Amino acid sequence: MTLVASPRYLQTVSVEAHRPRETLAALKKAGFRVAVCVPDSWLGGILKQIDEDPAMTLVRATHEEEALAIACGARLGGARAVLLVQNVGLLTMGAGMVSLAMRYQFPILIVASYRGSPRDPVFYHIPKGRATEPVLQGLGLRYAVATAEPIGPQVSRAAAFVEESSAPFVLLLGREDIQW
Amino acid sequence: MVSERLPSREAYYQALAESLPDGVAVVTSLGNASYLWARLRDRPLNFYMEDAMGLAMPVTLGLALAQPGRKVVGVEGDGGLLMHLGALVTVGAMAPENLTLLVVQNGVHAASGGQALTNPDLDLAALARWAGLRNAETVRSADGFRAAFRTAFAGRGPSLLALATEPDLEIVTPPRPFNPIVIKQRFMDALGVPDYVPSVFGKGESSS
Repeated sequence: MTLVASPRYLQTVSVEAHRPRETLAALKKAGFRVAVCVPDSWLGGILKQIDEDPAMTLVRATHEEEALAIACGARLGGARAVLLVQNVGLLTMGAGMVSLAMRYQFPILIVASYRGSPRDPVFYHIPKGRATEPVLQGLGLRYAVATAEPIGPQVSRAAAFVEESSAPFVLLLGREDIQW
Repeated sequence: MVSERLPSREAYYQALAESLPDGVAVVTSLGNASYLWARLRDRPLNFYMEDAMGLAMPVTLGLALAQPGRKVVGVEGDGGLLMHLGALVTVGAMAPENLTLLVVQNGVHAASGGQALTNPDLDLAALARWAGLRNAETVRSADGFRAAFRTAFAGRGPSLLALATEPDLEIVTPPRPFNPIVIKQRFMDALGVPDYVPSVFGKGESSS
């Protein structure tokens, strides 16, 4: 029997660019002044970069639903706001997502580390990875999973999508896209 | 709660309406916190929340951070505060000086019919100080509120006033039902926040 790897598994990520730097550069170019976070091990480095950036305000929230509400308040006050959370936060922020962010049509970009996906086989993350996309679909929330293409344009498109749709949008990122 | 006769929410709101300078942004939480305020003092700089329990305080925090040059008042319930008590710690950590929080402490879940709160007797002012807020005080009369609000408002925040009150369980009818999109747009227009201009019109960015 011959095993043939499917093209999906032959996908490679370009190594010439530092993808987390491209992610942050695209967020800054899109004008995000406020970043609200609940950390994940993949997010620690980029959060430090944001914290040290005088052009951005980093809010360290205690819970992802709280973080979403802070971001909505910031956008209400005219500041573009991005959430940086682990995908488990998409499960914990469900009530605020439908009752606040979606009901009031807040354009909030959510950048989430995609833990427990088939590309992150960690046993305790896998239950969250399994639930993530069905929950987003159930909420009626638009989302994209980052591909191996350059990450900057993917972040820029997601940032445009939130404002054009007056709605939240989730970009699920792999380790190489976000871990500084 | 102690057996003294406490002011109604309406008595506090009347005092707030008298004390509130023009140009202050006000965010109110679900139920009568929003419905009664809309009845008493509807104004474009009010952002009324419905449902989304526990999120009025973090919304107000985000607003205060985005509008550092403007005074911002958030009205939350004691049940809502307990639901996201962590947000109080975030307020203390970010410490926006332009933020004043009013917590209506009636000891019950008033908006859902008056069910008992997990703990109705907490010292919310002590909790707020513990969380790092600069000023925190519990008031038990409308006059006490006027004085405390004046002091809090004149100084540097963040401040929290816990308003000890009797529960109001009858749902107040607002002047007209809230349309969330209209409420939001009216509020942002009053703040002077630029509209987003879609890319098909050549901008793809916010513009005055």
